[in-house]
Amino acid sequence: MSFTITCPICGKRDLYEFRFGGEERGARPDYENLTPQNWCDYVHLRTNRPGPQREWWFHRDGCGRWFTVWRDPMTNRETASSEATR
Amino acid sequence: MKRLPHSPTQRIDTRHPLPFSYGGRLLEGYRGDTVATALFANGVRIFSRSLKYHRPRGLYSLDGESSNCLMEIDGLPNMRAEQVPLRGGMQVRPQNVVGSPERDLLGFLDAFHWAMPAGFYYRVFHKPYRLWPFFQTLIRRAAGAGTVNPSWEPGRYDELHFHADVCVVGGGPAGMQAARAAAQTGLRVVLLESRPWLGGFYDWRTVEHHGTPLYERGRHLARELESLSNVRVYTSCTATGLYGDNLVTAVQEGGPDDFFHQRYLEIRARAVVAATGCTERPLVFEHNERPGVMQPGCAHRLARTYGLLPGTAAVFSVGHDLGLEAAADLHDQGLHVACVADCRSDGQDPQRIAALEERNIPFLRGWVAARALGKKAVEAVVLSTTEGSATRTISCDVLAASAGLTPLTGLFSLARLPLSYDERTGYFLPASLPEGLYAAGRLVGYDDPASIELSGTAAGLRAAVHCGALDAPRADEALTELQDNHRVLRGSKLVLAPGAGARSFVCFDEDATVKHVRQSVRMGFDVPELAKRVTAIGTGPSQSGIPGHNLPLIMAHLRGESAGTLRPTTVRPPLKPTLLATYAGLHPDIHKKTPLHDVQERAGAVFRRVGVWKRARYFSSDPTCRDEILNVRNNVGILDGSTLGKFRIFGPDAEKALQRVYVGDMSRVPAGKLKYSAMCTEDGCLLDDGVATKLGENDYYFTTSTGRAGATVEWFRFHTRHEDWEYYLVNLTDSLASINLAGPKARDVLQQLTDADVSNDAFPFMGYREFRLKGLVPARVLRLGFVGELSYEIHIPSSMARTVWQWLLEAGRPLGIRPFGLEAQNVLRMEKGHVIIGQESEIRTTLIDLGLGFLWDRTKTWAKTVGAPALQFAESQEGRLKLVGFLVDGSRPPLDGSIVVDGSIRGHVCTCRYSPTLDKAIGLALVDDDLAALGSRLRIFEPGDPPEYFDARVVPTPFYDPEGQRMKC
Repeated sequence: MSFTITCPICGKRDLYEFRFGGEERGARPDYENLTPQNWCDYVHLRTNRPGPQREWWFHRDGCGRWFTVWRDPMTNRETASSEATR
Repeated sequence: MKRLPHSPTQRIDTRHPLPFSYGGRLLEGYRGDTVATALFANGVRIFSRSLKYHRPRGLYSLDGESSNCLMEIDGLPNMRAEQVPLRGGMQVRPQNVVGSPERDLLGFLDAFHWAMPAGFYYRVFHKPYRLWPFFQTLIRRAAGAGTVNPSWEPGRYDELHFHADVCVVGGGPAGMQAARAAAQTGLRVVLLESRPWLGGFYDWRTVEHHGTPLYERGRHLARELESLSNVRVYTSCTATGLYGDNLVTAVQEGGPDDFFHQRYLEIRARAVVAATGCTERPLVFEHNERPGVMQPGCAHRLARTYGLLPGTAAVFSVGHDLGLEAAADLHDQGLHVACVADCRSDGQDPQRIAALEERNIPFLRGWVAARALGKKAVEAVVLSTTEGSATRTISCDVLAASAGLTPLTGLFSLARLPLSYDERTGYFLPASLPEGLYAAGRLVGYDDPASIELSGTAAGLRAAVHCGALDAPRADEALTELQDNHRVLRGSKLVLAPGAGARSFVCFDEDATVKHVRQSVRMGFDVPELAKRVTAIGTGPSQSGIPGHNLPLIMAHLRGESAGTLRPTTVRPPLKPTLLATYAGLHPDIHKKTPLHDVQERAGAVFRRVGVWKRARYFSSDPTCRDEILNVRNNVGILDGSTLGKFRIFGPDAEKALQRVYVGDMSRVPAGKLKYSAMCTEDGCLLDDGVATKLGENDYYFTTSTGRAGATVEWFRFHTRHEDWEYYLVNLTDSLASINLAGPKARDVLQQLTDADVSNDAFPFMGYREFRLKGLVPARVLRLGFVGELSYEIHIPSSMARTVWQWLLEAGRPLGIRPFGLEAQNVLRMEKGHVIIGQESEIRTTLIDLGLGFLWDRTKTWAKTVGAPALQFAESQEGRLKLVGFLVDGSRPPLDGSIVVDGSIRGHVCTCRYSPTLDKAIGLALVDDDLAALGSRLRIFEPGDPPEYFDARVVPTPFYDPEGQRMKC
C-alpha cells in the first residue's frame, strides 16, 4: 500500500513519513455517566465506512504535527485539504 | 563460433575476451555479451530441459520472457542467462537436468505427455490420497527449477528512494522523446530502461529514416538525454511495480563496474509515462519451442548486437514488418533465408516487401509455420496457409517465428486499469488512462519512427502539463499533430497456426499446450483466470511473459467466440523476478551512539542495541556482572544513562497537558523536588514512567524511558488534539547526557566536583538541584534511587559529557569507582523491586497489576487522564496477572520468559537473576492472581533441550533494603 498525505505544514509527502491516528471520533467524553461499555466503545470502535472520512495523521518524520485530512480509504485519495491542530 | 565482422550496431567489445565456465567446460565470451549470447557463441543450443516433459529448450528471446535460459550463475539458481551480463570467471551451470541439457536422462518423459493432462497434479495423484506424499516427492525431484544453495555468499544490495516530477518507463525512442520533452520544461525527469542501454527497437536496426540509420538516431537521442542535467537515466533497470499516487518501484541489475549486485528503487513521481513498447507475441504451432525456433527479434539482435549468426539457413514466419526487416537484414549479414511467411494477408509495408524481392527471398503472404521438425533441434519446418489448405516443407536450422507484436502492459495492470481488446491493433489496452499516467510509442500501437517519436513528445508534454510546468495548449498541439498525421498500425489477428494441438506450447515454463487449454475449457475452466489455475499457464518463473495475451485469444478461439471476449489474467508485482535479498537490502545497523560511547568502549564495554541506541551492557567477560554489582552496593559506580528521554514542557497550558497524560496529580510537583509518575494507554496499561520537576510557573522538566523518548511529543499532542491548549515541548534527549552516579560513596564523589551543599539535609532523596560542576559545567542533578543506593542522575550538556565522566572517575578513584553497564543495573534494580517497562510489563499489563496503582490520582477527573476510566474498571477486574517477586530453590535462575505452569500456563518470568548481593536466585514474574499470595509455590518451566523445571516461592519485594534506607541516607 502506498499513497501520499498532504501535511498542512510540509505539503504532499510519502505515507511512510506519517503515523495514522485513526478516524476522527470527537473529543474525549466527560466522566459523568461514563460506563465501562461506552468508554470501551469510544476507545475501540470505528465506523469503517467505505467512503470519505475525516482522520488523524501525525507527521512523524517531518514537522511533528497532528492534523486531519479527509480521505477515502476505498481509493486512498484525499478528498479535501488538511487542517492542522496547534 | 566466429563473430560477424565489426558493425557499429554491435554492443560487444572483441578486444576484451572474458573466460567463464559452463558445466565444467572453460569457455570464452566478450565484454558486452550476456551469459546466453556467450554460450550461443560457443555452440550451446540446448539451454535447459522443460519442467514436466524435459524437452530440450533453446534460446528463444533475449528479454527473459521464458524459463528456457534459467541457469545457476555464480551459485545463484534461476538466473535468466539472457539478461545476466557476462563477467570474467563466472561459474555457469545448467539446472533441472539429470546429466546435461544435451543428454538428459529424464528426456523420455516427453513420450508420456499424454499421461499429463491439464491439472493432472490435482486430479491424478490423489487417488488414493495416501499415495500423494510419495508422488509429491517424485514430482518435486523431476520437475521444478534450480536449488537454493544455503551457503551462498550474499552480495551487496542497494536501495534508492527518491522523488521525480516525471518518471518515464522505457528508454526506446518514445520514452527518450517523452523524457526530453518533459525535461525541456525544467522538470526533474527519471528514465528507466530495462536493457543495459537506451534505444529500444532502434538500437540494432540499420534501416534509414530521413537519411539516418535508426541505430544512429537512437544513440544520438541517448547522448542528448545524458547531457541534460535534470534527467536521471537508469539502465538495466526494470520497473517492477506501480502503486497509488504514482509510486514506481524498479529493480536495477548491477553492471561489471557497479558496486551493487541488484538495487531496489522507489520513485515517487508526479506523472508517469509508460513507453514500455512491445514484445513479440509467440506463434503457437506444433513443436514451437524446439531449439532453433526463436523470435525474429532475437535472431536479428543476435546478429546485430552480439555479432552472432543464429544459424546457417533460416525460415521466417512473422506477423509484423519488423520480422520482414529482420529477414532482409540477416540475409545481408550472411544468413541464408530460405523463405519468409507472413500470416497477414495484407497491410505490409511495401518497402519491406520490395527489400525481400531485391534479395530474391521468397515471400509467402498468408502463410504460417505449422510444425517444426527435428528431434533436438529444428531440421525443417512445415509451412501452411493460415487456413491450413496447403502445406510445404522447407529445410532450415533456424525458424524465426512470431504471431505479431503484443504490448507490454504490465504497468497498466498494476494501475488496475481494465484492459480491453483493440480491434485495429489486436492489442489488449486500457480504454482510458487516469490523470498522471500517460502512454506512448509502440505500446499503444504506433509503428513508424516518426509517429513513435511524436507520441513520446506528446506524452512528455502532457506529463509536464500535469506537473504544472506547461500550458495545456502547447501539449495539445503535439497531440493534435499526432492524431491528424499518424495512424496506429493494423496488427496481426492470427491466434493459432493450423493443426496446433498437443505439442503447441502456450506456456513454456509450465509445459502447457493448446491441448491443455482445450481440456481446461471442456472441464468448465473456460476463462483465462480459471484456466491459469488449472493448467498453471503463466504461473512459472516468467509469469505471463510467453502466454501473456495469447491465452485469452486462444481461449476465445476455442470457445468459438471472436477475439476480445476474454481478458488477460491479472499481472501482479514484481513484474520482473527479484531476489529476496534485494528486498531485504543492505539494512545497515543504523543506531545512535551516546556522547559517552567511545570512552566506554575504551573501558572495555560490550554494547547491545536498545531501541535506536547502542548501550554498554557490561564491562567484563563475566555475564553475571558480579563485580560491577557489588561495587555499586559497596563503593560507587557510574552508568551512562544518556539515552533517557529528557524534555522541557512550558507554555500557559503545560500543566494541563501533563495532567492529561500522567496518572499522578502533576499540580503537586514542587520546585526542587521530583515526582515519580507514569503514563498509561487508554486501556490503563502502563506505557511509560519517569520523573518530573517544576522549573517555574507552567514550566517543567521531565524524563521518559529510553524507548518512549521518540514518541513522547506525538503522545502528548495526540491526547490534547481536541483542545486548543498552548504549550511547547522541547526534546532535550540528545542535547543532554545523563550520568548515573550510584553507591554509598556517591556523595563523596559528587562533593568534590561542586561547592553546592549536597548533604542529605540540603539535597534529600527525590530532590532536584541545578548547579555547576567545578564552577564550569551547568548540571541538573536528580537524586533518585533506581538501583537502590544513594544515587545522583547528573544531566549535563552532551558536549561536556566526556569531561564530566573523566572528572567523576578521577574524583572517585580513591573510593573504588568503576563504570557499570545495563546488565548490572538490571540486577540492581530488580533486587530493589523496581520495574522496567516492557520487561515487567507487556502490552496488557495495567498499572494496578504491577502494584503501582498508588501513582494514579483518582480525584482529577476534570483532567480526563488518559487511561483513568480503564483503571477504574481494571481495579475490580478478576483474573488478571499480578507482578510478584519469587525466590528460586537453588542458585541457578531460569531464563527470562520461562513459563509458570500448574497443569496449564499460569504466568511467566519477567526477569530472574542470581543476586550476588543476597547470594540467591531471585526474580519477578507475572502470575495469575490466585498464585500471587506470599508463600505460593511456583513451578517454572524453562524451554530448552532438554527442558528444565524450577521450583520457586513467592516472597515480598523489594528483596533488598525494603525500607529504602540506603537510597534515602
